[in-house]
Amino acid sequence: MAPSQAGHVPTLDNLIKSFNDRPLEATIDSLIFLLKRRQIKGDDCAKATAHILRQVVAKSKWTNVNQLLEKVRSDGTRLAQAAPLEPVIGNVVRRVLGLIRDEAAEDRNADDLASETASDIQDIQSLAPGAPPPQPLQRTTTAQMRPTLASLPSNLLVSNSMFNLLSVAEPTGSPITGASTPMSSALHASVHALRSEVMDGIEEILDEISQADDQIAGFADIQIHPGDYVLAYQPTKTVERFLIKAASKRRFTLLLAGLQTPDPSAEPPYAALRKRLAAAGVQTINLASNGLMAYIPRVNKVIFGAKAVYQNGGLLVDSGCCVAAQAAHEYLKPVIALCPVYKFTPEDPSNEVVRGELGDPSSYVSYANGPAVDLLDIENTVTDYIPPELVDVYLTNLGPQTRHHLASILADHYKTEDIAFSLQLDES
Amino acid sequence: MSKQGGKGGAAVGKGKKPAKAGADEKREDVLQAVILADSFQDRFRPFTLETPRCLLPLVNVPVIEYTLEFLASNGVQEVFIYCGSHHQNIEDYIRGSTRWDPRSSVSPFQKLDFIRVSDANSIGDFLRDLDKRAIITGDFILVHGDLVSNIQLDAILAKHRARREANRDACFTVVLRSVGEQPHRTARARGITPVFVVDPTTGRLLQYDEMHPLQSEHYVQLDPSVFSHGEFEIRTDLVDCGIDICTPDVLALWSESFDYELPRKNFLHGVLKDWELNGKMLYAEVLDSGYAARASNLQMYDCISQDVLERWTMPFVPDSNLVHGYTYKRVKDGNYIEHRVVIERGSKVTKSVVGGGTTVKTGSTVSRSIIGRRCKIGKNVRIENSYIWDDTVIGDGATVVHSIIANSAVVGAGCRVPEGSLISYHVQLADGVALPSKPPARIATLTDDQQPAETDERLVGAGGKGALYEVARDEEESDDEEGPSRDPAILQSSLIYSLEGLDITTSSVSSFESDNDFTSDVDDGDYDDGISTTESMDVSGGGGDFGSGEAQARTFDAASSKSQDAFHNDAVHGLHDALRDTTGDDFDSAKLEFMGLRLANNASDAAMRRAIAVAFTRRAAELFAPENGGPGLEAAKAAGEALTSKKGAVKFVREVGVGGEEVSQQAEFALALQRALASGAAGKLEPARAGLLLAAMLQQLYSLDVLEEEGILAWWADGRAEEGETMKVVREKCRVLVEWLENADEEESSEEEEDDDDEEEDD
Repeated sequence: MAPSQAGHVPTLDNLIKSFNDRPLEATIDSLIFLLKRRQIKGDDCAKATAHILRQVVAKSKWTNVNQLLEKVRSDGTRLAQAAPLEPVIGNVVRRVLGLIRDEAAEDRNADDLASETASDIQDIQSLAPGAPPPQPLQRTTTAQMRPTLASLPSNLLVSNSMFNLLSVAEPTGSPITGASTPMSSALHASVHALRSEVMDGIEEILDEISQADDQIAGFADIQIHPGDYVLAYQPTKTVERFLIKAASKRRFTLLLAGLQTPDPSAEPPYAALRKRLAAAGVQTINLASNGLMAYIPRVNKVIFGAKAVYQNGGLLVDSGCCVAAQAAHEYLKPVIALCPVYKFTPEDPSNEVVRGELGDPSSYVSYANGPAVDLLDIENTVTDYIPPELVDVYLTNLGPQTRHHLASILADHYKTEDIAFSLQLDES
Repeated sequence: MSKQGGKGGAAVGKGKKPAKAGADEKREDVLQAVILADSFQDRFRPFTLETPRCLLPLVNVPVIEYTLEFLASNGVQEVFIYCGSHHQNIEDYIRGSTRWDPRSSVSPFQKLDFIRVSDANSIGDFLRDLDKRAIITGDFILVHGDLVSNIQLDAILAKHRARREANRDACFTVVLRSVGEQPHRTARARGITPVFVVDPTTGRLLQYDEMHPLQSEHYVQLDPSVFSHGEFEIRTDLVDCGIDICTPDVLALWSESFDYELPRKNFLHGVLKDWELNGKMLYAEVLDSGYAARASNLQMYDCISQDVLERWTMPFVPDSNLVHGYTYKRVKDGNYIEHRVVIERGSKVTKSVVGGGTTVKTGSTVSRSIIGRRCKIGKNVRIENSYIWDDTVIGDGATVVHSIIANSAVVGAGCRVPEGSLISYHVQLADGVALPSKPPARIATLTDDQQPAETDERLVGAGGKGALYEVARDEEESDDEEGPSRDPAILQSSLIYSLEGLDITTSSVSSFESDNDFTSDVDDGDYDDGISTTESMDVSGGGGDFGSGEAQARTFDAASSKSQDAFHNDAVHGLHDALRDTTGDDFDSAKLEFMGLRLANNASDAAMRRAIAVAFTRRAAELFAPENGGPGLEAAKAAGEALTSKKGAVKFVREVGVGGEEVSQQAEFALALQRALASGAAGKLEPARAGLLLAAMLQQLYSLDVLEEEGILAWWADGRAEEGETMKVVREKCRVLVEWLENADEEESSEEEEDDDDEEEDD
């Protein structure tokens, strides 16, 4: 690919470079079509989504948190729908939504402490059923008032209050009109602050995405023991890094499975990986895919990277991994799935996922093979779904987990309000 | 001409400040593409009466969407769309789409322009127009508006650029997809088989030809120069997807050849043929992976639709939903279904695409079909391999097999639509109609000239709407080159490829010979009938005695094909004009033109000889006979004037007309002269006077050392010179000359010289 330095085919890098000189809508649209045309796929999706949402936060016009959330949600939905089989897009959108909520809540707290008027709280209280009416008291001591607020039983408070706090003079009719002017200037400042905080937050998400592989590789020496026979099925970048790291600490034997039939003109598959492993003194064995089962008894563990982890613990993986996982399961060999936290998806796998995405049939039948093209129906699934019972360890960048602890990871990273973010727009 | 213009422009650019050069370089980075959105063909009739080809739905998506998305996926930034017929529809469509509208900020193209050419009759006219506009700044991609492809052109573009930088003349790269040697549906659907002769090491194209099952000769003649390239491959297993990567020089080539019409048959063939003249090198990039095809006829439409369903065109598959507002999902049984589709229980849909709002009632089976939006499929309907566009209604119990039913058509209950039927927009079939299967019906509500058709109730039933669509006679004739039954396009105008009912024996070569052999036959509808008649008048020198000439003429070149006729006319014209021209005495340009024509048409030696003979005899006849408008010189003087008045003409006749030193060649040329005079091709002359002129010309040629006495004697002895009454009379007049030659033969060469001197005195 070196010769075409002036390549015209759009890529993620080009897109990111073009952020500054193109309008936001155009860049979002470009990304959507890159996703639809599968010119960005796999791990790049997460990165691309984070980048574009950062642009959304930075460039779009919004005056309160609700507008921002709405904007992120609608653009996020379009992105997620562009590639329904790349759940990481949705994950990143959820993370960003959660991030905005957190930052807004923080701002609110800060405002509360600073502001003596707290007119909005007063509003809510007057609206909330069964709220105690003593208003003068509130004004004098905000600190005292807080427990009262928290004690309110209505869930309305949780979901609505924090946005009303920041929004400009809601039509509910605020009794104190004089407060609107200082509020709006404060709002400007807070919008500004929020914007930069959210962008910083997205920056952190991007860092997390880029560091996740290294962090996972950090656990390599715990998972791989000296003398192990490790089977890696179609190693992804994450797995490659993991193996290289492991090789620096341990002597083991690697079996590479699921290799494509080598294209005579191209470099043999995983040549770079094998070179580096060999340099570290790790022996690699290439398996033809139909020989996989025969080697399983000898193997100590099976490793592959996941494209996504669903909340039931099922995995979305590249096609073929399921065979390896099943084989390992039969022989009671541990199956280790490498999955950074950003790949955890608070959803159940859809029918489409379970059936697998179809690629083009050319990897099985050449288009030049006329009779076969005419007579055969070729379905080339490019993704597999691995049911949760086949996976033993989920090795995340936060450490190894079992299926039973996935719920807590999901709870830590996503807010319940955002889980079904795309469905909210789907209906309209 | 325009090439020079381009050079001039570049020189000016260089003269300016270096900053400007920098800007130019930046421009170079902008990838441009030209879409030819009109094909000037009617293979999709009757559908294209109402909708342009590029807006016909292919798997429920207008074809041009695939093309534009292909360009967008390759990072094209500027697009020019050439529209011909229905340009308003295309413009409205693009402007109405949120994605492509040039005014919208989300368009992936920086620029999208429509170019209309009011008087364009062919793709060649488009490209010549493009050359004039000077909007192309660097390498550009030339595609047709019916392209479906997922190829990534980056590597090919880089190669093209490297070649161009190495050699300025490497200006053109054709992208081809190999489909293997085994029978293949795409290959079968072509009708015309392109034959590419390629140098496998460099990828350079050496020759291009086309074959089709209806042609008389089932072989391709290799250009001898092909052999000078060392290794070469002759390939017919390639699908030409119509993606060309061109430098602006290519447009100059189009402009130079004002008569090129088709990018392949004329341009590619011609430029390769004239390689020695134009020095351009064309390359082919043969791909073994990726998908590329043109929905250039109904069979290809059928093929590509199936390929899309089988996901060869990945990512251009229904569930990518590349078009705004599409909501396809892949569901079980290999179906792609949009939102709000109702498939009732008890009906079976397999391997099909169903658009939103469609209802399939109980008991129906749909397989391998594509059904548009808002269709109503009744109960117990059977639909197989068919293409049903938006808003159609198919009544209960109907059967539709391998057919196309266009928008808003109604198929009544219990109808039978057999294989290959084409039902156009708004046609209504009454209940219980069974359409004919052989030949499959093409039903439309419009006639060929866009008038509402009178409903044929016998066909569509009482209360139906529509009539059999028939191609207007004259159009058919102007559109093809070899008569209606001989045009390969006929293979492509139906949904099902079939040679049935077509006479494809090779023996009937003359069955499509035109009445007057010298009439320039209409080539691809460029000239209308009026022009071709005047041409024939012109060629035959003011309507000479066709009656007697015709039979002769027929034997004269029974095997010559149309292109050779065209060559003949052009060549004779050119030479004759040059001979007539009183201003200059230079014959070189005429010679150059003649050689160019010869290369372009692949004219045989015989054809050349004939053309030269006719041209010279016509000039001589003109000078000789006052009734032809000439001064009425004596025969000998007229012959001498015709042959010697122009410098280089004699050499030309010797080298090209006769073509060699051999006796047989000389005899052939003499025969050609005789025929030209006898047939009346040279002008209106009585046989006796024609003979006189022939004798004078032969004598002149003899004295000019063009013909030797052996040649003339061989001609005299040739039986062909005595065929027919006129020929005999003409020949008889030369007896004196021949006898004199025979006598001279016995004497010595010194005598000959004396004769020569005599001749000169005569002059």
